[in-house]
Amino acid sequence: MPDTMTLTVPGKPEYVSTVRLAVSSLAAKSGFDVETIEDIKVAVSEACSNILCHSDIGDEYSYRVECTLHENKLEIAVVDNGVGFDAGNYEMPNPGCLQVGGLGIYIIKALMDDVQVISNDGEGTLIRMTKNIRPENFASIGGRETPPESESSR
Amino acid sequence: MSLSIKGNYDAAGSRWNFDLVGEIDISNAHQLKQQLETAYATHPTDVYLDLERLNYIDSTGLGVIIGVYGTIRGDGHKTIIVNPKDNVKKLLRITSLDKVLIAE
Repeated sequence: MPDTMTLTVPGKPEYVSTVRLAVSSLAAKSGFDVETIEDIKVAVSEACSNILCHSDIGDEYSYRVECTLHENKLEIAVVDNGVGFDAGNYEMPNPGCLQVGGLGIYIIKALMDDVQVISNDGEGTLIRMTKNIRPENFASIGGRETPPESESSR
Repeated sequence: MSLSIKGNYDAAGSRWNFDLVGEIDISNAHQLKQQLETAYATHPTDVYLDLERLNYIDSTGLGVIIGVYGTIRGDGHKTIIVNPKDNVKKLLRITSLDKVLIAE
């Protein structure tokens, strides 16, 4: 049974940094190295910003950040019940064509191993992202002393 | 989360030098936008952003910089990022912004 940590976050921009710190701490505890922790931090922050920008959840509402630590991966789901957006028609920005918006999902997909964006008009948004725990991004600084691959090979 | 923005107009070099310190995200990106736009309206010229002490920036902050780049490029002026930390440099590389915003 994987461990799960869930944050219920007020729908206000000033709390995104708190989420960032909490998830960074969990990633460090999970044994990821510094660069990978930075990737996870940026990705979860982008997901929160995306929720706040596109879902019109308002100050009186909140959204959830669910972090599940599996044996070989950290899975983070950012979920809201806002108005959503049409993810089916989302287009990746062209990096050669600079624009003000639209970079968030692009950055998340570049930094994480697996990303799912499920959103439909009127049904809220789910952004689920996964970072695999591999020997090369495992720092041996957290609760685990060896990568899961090593544990399973004993 | 704190962000300090210090702008200095270099009349001799005809450019703005901004020192960004702290972190930029959705909670304070509007401050950066406002200060850059106000400065540029006062002295429309090249804008240099020193990120040596900027620990974090996300797409909302990058969006502000892209917006400024687009606006002042039309006037024939440059937006240049100098001294980004490795984590910021990685984001600039991912988004290909390094090709147009970082000085050779």
